Amino acid sequence: MAAETIVAKNLSKRYGDFTAVNGISFKVKKGEIYGLLGPNGAGKTTTVRMLTTLTSITSGEAWINGYSVKEDRLMVKKSIGLVPDVSNLYDELTVEENLRFTAKLYGAPMENVEELIKEFNLPAKRKFGKLSSGFKRRVTIAAALVHEPEVLFMDEPTSNLDIRSAKAVRALVRALNLRGMTIFLTTHNMIDAELLPHRIAIMEQGKIVAEGRRGELKRLVGKGVIVRFSVEPVSSTLLKVLESYSPAFDEGRISVLVDDVDDFLDHLFELRKTLGFRVTYLSTELPSIEDVFMELTEESPCPCGGCPI
Amino acid sequence: MKILTIAAKELREYVLKPGSISWGIVFPLVFTLAFAVRFGDIDHLAPGLLSISILFGTSSFVSSSIIFERRLRTFERLLVAPVSYLEIATAKILVGTLFGIFVGVTSMLVLRLFMAYAIWNWILLLLFMTLSGLAFSALSLYVSLRVQNPINAMTWLNLIRLPMIFTSGAIVSLLLFPRWFLAVGLLTPMTYSVDGLRFSMLEYYDVVNPAYSGLVMIILTMIFLYLSIRSIKNLY
Ligand SMILES: Nc1ncnc2c1ncn2[C@@H]1O[C@H](COP(=O)(O)OP(=O)(O)O)[C@@H](O)[C@H]1O
Ligand SMILES: [Mg+2]
Repeated sequence: MAAETIVAKNLSKRYGDFTAVNGISFKVKKGEIYGLLGPNGAGKTTTVRMLTTLTSITSGEAWINGYSVKEDRLMVKKSIGLVPDVSNLYDELTVEENLRFTAKLYGAPMENVEELIKEFNLPAKRKFGKLSSGFKRRVTIAAALVHEPEVLFMDEPTSNLDIRSAKAVRALVRALNLRGMTIFLTTHNMIDAELLPHRIAIMEQGKIVAEGRRGELKRLVGKGVIVRFSVEPVSSTLLKVLESYSPAFDEGRISVLVDDVDDFLDHLFELRKTLGFRVTYLSTELPSIEDVFMELTEESPCPCGGCPI
Repeated sequence: MKILTIAAKELREYVLKPGSISWGIVFPLVFTLAFAVRFGDIDHLAPGLLSISILFGTSSFVSSSIIFERRLRTFERLLVAPVSYLEIATAKILVGTLFGIFVGVTSMLVLRLFMAYAIWNWILLLLFMTLSGLAFSALSLYVSLRVQNPINAMTWLNLIRLPMIFTSGAIVSLLLFPRWFLAVGLLTPMTYSVDGLRFSMLEYYDVVNPAYSGLVMIILTMIFLYLSIRSIKNLY
């Protein structure tokens, strides 16, 4: 159990007849950033709420740090920090008062508050309600860290933020993770998905439709790999050979789409020996997570995503 | 310990938010003054008016606190922290009670100006104000947590507290109604507050022995505390 910080087994949540989360299972390793990617209404928030004890689990089981979410709620609560999708500190209290209150609630040392204010560069004496949404999110993240949790849950950490604030939050997530924090985040934002998680689960209508490392997911959709390169000199013989790959030319670079990179590179370097050119630039590029997402999720017949009609 | 932490936070937060508090004070004061000016000597009305003040003070305070916290989702901060539902509910009730005592004492100072007799027993009066505050806060907490949509809490609260003014004998003594109405009076939580306050102020009671009144209010507090905790569980 030790290596796995979060384990979910057949987790389901029903609201009346409606199934918001439908038997999902996954494991998150210690020190990992795990991303739940899915459109609005997929069940991401519901999953986070079940894992953080905020809502009951209809069926299935989950463990955090080895503690059962159903049975050991108190230990689970002590192990986790939650940054909800809405920044929800007390508007009338200052940043410092908010953090101090949180520290008292968790029985955490007050030094943590001072440290976080310094480290996150927070305006200690300003009222929370008066802050910009970017700063609110920062303070909400700080508040989730006051008691030094083992796992941080972040529900849509960059939503409703301007580009600069979103970038700052992403940097924060990475920095926290580098210090060993396990992070479970949800997002419908492709930039987050591309940049943050070590592993991604794609969720749709309450189910996980694919899971894996970014590269694995990208290869899973089997759209091939883009190889971009420049050579000197470019001979007509070379161009003739490359014709079978239907290459594209752009700013002195040649791009081809191949199924197997290794095969293509072997071929290219053979040509280099026989034709005697120099390779001055070479890069490969997988399809984007967005491509993967579009490939793996079905377009709902109705834009609302889940209405009964 | 955590109960006090939460209670202190609530006080600080709501004292800083003037709007929610003033309604809880202004209404009882205006209400009291209106009766005083209309009837002159209000000795026999005073206990009822005091009880109404405490009821409106506590219920406005507790329900607006819960409505705000549920809508802004700050309530979830408490739920996700290592704090029990019992601690959360108790903290809310304590702060409501404190506010109720504050409103009660303020109203009492105003009522005093229009009363012919002296208060019989101030200490007992403070005790019954506290018990009323506890019972009314717990009741309001339950109502505010029972409704699915927090916006409806005020409507439900009014459906409960307005009729209570009449069925509790706060304004017209229960002894002046037909006998069957006494049963309705005894089913009204506020009856015990009114009669307890009456005994502390005037050294007599209408229907319920003050010892029973005190006991009933403690039991009511515990029942509504229990129901509030169950409502939190059902909501989330
Ligand atoms: N309290 C609730 N009662 C009924 N349905 C709900 C409730 N919370 C969420 N849902 C429904 O569950 C589905 C998943 O919601 P949610 O987990 O918030 O999705 P996401 O976070 O992926 O956008 C949605 O269709 C939503 O309407
Ligand atoms: Mg969501």
